[in-house]
Amino acid sequence: MNVVIGEVLRYGVILSGAIILVGIISLAATNGLTGITGMLTYNPNVVPHDNIDVSLGGLAQGLVTLSAFSWIELGVIVLIATPVSRVVISVFLFAAERDRLYVLITAVVLALLLFSMLVTPFIPGFHA
Amino acid sequence: MFIIEFVLLMFFISIFAGVFGSIVGLGGGIVVIPVLTILMGVDIHFAIGASIVAIIGTSSGSASTYVRDKVTNLRVGMFLELASTSGAITGAAIAAYTNSAALETIFGSILLVSLVPMVMKIGEDVPKSPELRGVSKRLGLAGSYTESDGRVVNYNSTRPVEGLAGTAVAGVLSGLLGIGGGAFKVLSMDLAMKLPMKVSTTTSNFMIGVTAAASAGIYFARGDVDPLVVAPVALGILIGAVIGARILLRSRNTTVRKIFAVVLAIAAVEMILSALGVSV
Repeated sequence: MNVVIGEVLRYGVILSGAIILVGIISLAATNGLTGITGMLTYNPNVVPHDNIDVSLGGLAQGLVTLSAFSWIELGVIVLIATPVSRVVISVFLFAAERDRLYVLITAVVLALLLFSMLVTPFIPGFHA
Repeated sequence: MFIIEFVLLMFFISIFAGVFGSIVGLGGGIVVIPVLTILMGVDIHFAIGASIVAIIGTSSGSASTYVRDKVTNLRVGMFLELASTSGAITGAAIAAYTNSAALETIFGSILLVSLVPMVMKIGEDVPKSPELRGVSKRLGLAGSYTESDGRVVNYNSTRPVEGLAGTAVAGVLSGLLGIGGGAFKVLSMDLAMKLPMKVSTTTSNFMIGVTAAASAGIYFARGDVDPLVVAPVALGILIGAVIGARILLRSRNTTVRKIFAVVLAIAAVEMILSALGVSV
């Protein structure tokens, strides 16, 4: 069990690190690193605040056009997905050990986690 | 500042953050946030977005080693995640009705006060193992790990309800502020559940990735996770976490506790300063 969870985390980290690195290299290749950080302005009146398209469509389009920021974004999504996959796989590993109590505990954690990640951002009044 | 300078500086500072974050079980945010806001002049919202990613990176980057070497207690981690994820959702739900400065003052003060029992335990290698009974026994909240010198440490845990409560506080903080969860997780396992220090910090490390992921959706959707800020932080943190994990496995419990006490004091002061309006 420990070995499998360790490997899931390791590959998630390597994959996300590699994708983010591709993003930085492509940023450098397109002279994206020569500007000044004054462009890092936070705009509270616009969502998203960094004026970058965070929708899935925007991400897909950016990946096809090899946009550096989209690759970095994809790497970050893989990084965020890594602990989630670890919980998913734990459910099955506890099931394989016939440990019903921990299958239940881990499944509840997974449900809470997915609810918090995917549902609460869209509930009015949350995160205000 | 030129972007190339920013990227390189943040990369190297994040390696340092990853090393310390993975040893003490708090994630790298405690270093990354003040560096970004004070030194780099980055907006606090982007800094918190980067911190969420830094916490997930520290957690996953080091946990692969900790879990494989069985220092992390998976059952304790999964059990306490019930509280940290519920807490994160609660924090998100009450965010609109709370005064974050007041909360930071309260929680910062709790961290300061918890330095007292932490310092009193300085020098404790392995705690006197409590008898395993009740809920802890039913849940199998015990384990063993091997020190780098080959000594096998067997341990039990106690007071699971208090551990769960402390971890719920950690989750609420993460959901509300995006920061501050790790310290309460380590304290819950160390002071309430009486786990060995290395088990506490590495199990906290294992859990903070999930707690941070629980809050990541909102920061991502809001656009607080800026690619330019996050990229060098994520890469540096991952490298630092791998190095930090190797250091922890060779360190003694007493050393880890000393480093944790220092970092705890810094975290407490940061939180109180933030409440006073100094953006760290």
